[in-house]
Amino acid sequence: MEKETTKSRGLRRTVLTPAILAATAAIAVFASLACAPRAMAAAEEAQPPITPYTRECQTGDKEVQSTSPLPNVASALEAGKTLSILAIGSSPRPGRYGHGNYREEIEKILARAIKGLNVVIVNRGISGELAADAAMRIRTEVALNEPDLVLWQVGANDALAYLPVNEVVSTVVDTVRWLRQHKVDVILVGLQAVKRMQRNEHYIAVRDALRKVAQDENVIMIRRDDAMQMINKASTGGTDASNFPEEVERSQVNHACLAEYVARAITIGAFAKGLKVRARDGKNGGQEAVPPGASPGRDNQAPAKP
Amino acid sequence: MTRPANAIDMWRGFALVTIFINHVPGMVYARWTFSSYSIADSADLFVFLAGWSLRYVVGTDARRNPTRYVVMRLAARSFTIYVAQVFITALAIAMLAFAAIILDNPLLLEWHNAASVFFDPVPTHLGLVLITHQLGYFDILPLYVVLMLFAPLIAIIDRYTPWLLLPLSLTIYVLALTFQINPPTWPVEGAWFFNPLAWQFIFVLGFVIARKDGVIGEFLRRNISVLRIIGLVVIAVGLYFSLADKLPDPTTVPRPRLFFIADKTYITPIRLFQFLALVAVFSAVYRYIEPFVPRLVGFFALLGRNSLPVFCVGSLLALAGQIIRFVWQGYFSVDTIVVILGVAVMALTAWLNEWRDRAAQWKKRQQSPAG
Repeated sequence: MEKETTKSRGLRRTVLTPAILAATAAIAVFASLACAPRAMAAAEEAQPPITPYTRECQTGDKEVQSTSPLPNVASALEAGKTLSILAIGSSPRPGRYGHGNYREEIEKILARAIKGLNVVIVNRGISGELAADAAMRIRTEVALNEPDLVLWQVGANDALAYLPVNEVVSTVVDTVRWLRQHKVDVILVGLQAVKRMQRNEHYIAVRDALRKVAQDENVIMIRRDDAMQMINKASTGGTDASNFPEEVERSQVNHACLAEYVARAITIGAFAKGLKVRARDGKNGGQEAVPPGASPGRDNQAPAKP
Repeated sequence: MTRPANAIDMWRGFALVTIFINHVPGMVYARWTFSSYSIADSADLFVFLAGWSLRYVVGTDARRNPTRYVVMRLAARSFTIYVAQVFITALAIAMLAFAAIILDNPLLLEWHNAASVFFDPVPTHLGLVLITHQLGYFDILPLYVVLMLFAPLIAIIDRYTPWLLLPLSLTIYVLALTFQINPPTWPVEGAWFFNPLAWQFIFVLGFVIARKDGVIGEFLRRNISVLRIIGLVVIAVGLYFSLADKLPDPTTVPRPRLFFIADKTYITPIRLFQFLALVAVFSAVYRYIEPFVPRLVGFFALLGRNSLPVFCVGSLLALAGQIIRFVWQGYFSVDTIVVILGVAVMALTAWLNEWRDRAAQWKKRQQSPAG
């Protein structure tokens, strides 16, 4: 009995072991094949959640904002705290056709892109305000509202008032550095392009100087004039010819698109380095911010590697 | 009969001229107005003197105007200012539209919070009428409307429980600063540039201090010499901090932070103290300058006596000045012409306003049987 048992065990070992190994290998191959799309998806998840543009805000293959990390925004997301944004500069107008507004649109786009994100935007824009006055107010508003990010629409009023370019540059540089020292990120929103101003040397000088500031100080700048030119080309079939009413209309579109450009700049800047993201469920898609080392979350998906 | 020049009218006229200059951004002369050397500026002076003038309407214990008269007059005044605000805003919008068309430049449609007027007119027109939508540099009168709307209440409290007025005003001010309470703007999201809950305090201060026989007014007048010395020290310190850019980092001050930083929207205590110091010191100036430059004093007093029409015309002229500077690229000569023409038109407005009154009185005298 014992012999038989030993024999039968030996037989089983002889026959079954390779079978089990083969089965295991088959399962492993099958599993790896089955998991390949997931692994590929995970690799994709590591990309920043770039928010899409609506059709009228398309800028072709040209990005209208420079890319630069927003470390303080990223930290706020990693800590799971409400993202606080302060909007300063020329006051944005209400949303298209009275529906929503600049703040609501940015919040909506960001919430769609980043699951579970709470964002508060405090609008302290004052129309006609020069950079020097805004710079003073930024310090006060930062103290009062403690934002993670400042959206600063700057330059147009200084250009229209013919303030010396070096004064504007000095003000913006000082303020950007002050914000950095106080652990607040900044996105500069540049000058708008209108046909008439393309020939205004001072306007162009202010625009170019601010672009250089953004580059030198490594801050994101929304190049509204580039966006405007793209919209112009798209609507005029590349001729860029337009009359006053058409230009007013496109200027309106550019305004409405600003929220989309800002939202994209924020997501790219926030996810530029270090922050883990994962795919979210739901029909809208989008991605979810995951702090490093955090548990997978309620949908039980493993966080993708950065 | 127009009243002779006095200190209040002169300083009010002075404030109107400096407001005009400061409302043309980038203008070279703005560097020489006192707001470049002071934490407080002409807006503080304008509102303080508005409160001071309210005392003349309300009267004192010795010379009381009937309550019904006071209430009706203040309500009518509030309505007049409201109409002025809506009227000049409409003209400003038309000026921007005209300039945008003539200069073929849609960017001008977006100046000074005007974008929503042109691009989203349905809610914005409601906002204009409700004064919750204010163009940039056209935002002092909405404050004035609100203050005058509450002026009858201020007058009644002052009449029946005068001891309550200043503590009540101070309480509202402290609450506004502590909890950062400021009415919202609509439809463009934001907050009032001149927070009426904070600025009412300087208005009430002007009203209370103007009362010579009141406890506070009497105390301040009795100790004015000491107060002027303290005022000089405060002004010197303020000047140093302004010029040397040594104001404390607002992120490092204790909470509630508005009590320790200089802010215009909330007319914070630092700004308020500096302004009151300016008032204490410069209240001595009038009697010294009046004999030496009577024409200049008379000129400013002419503007100050007609403050509402002059302010309205000055606001529109400031906008015209901005457009002119934009077209002619803001040279020093352009600034000089803008200032000279602007102040001249403001003076003409004041003169015409008084001439109209004089003509009406002359006609009345002609028609009266005795005359």
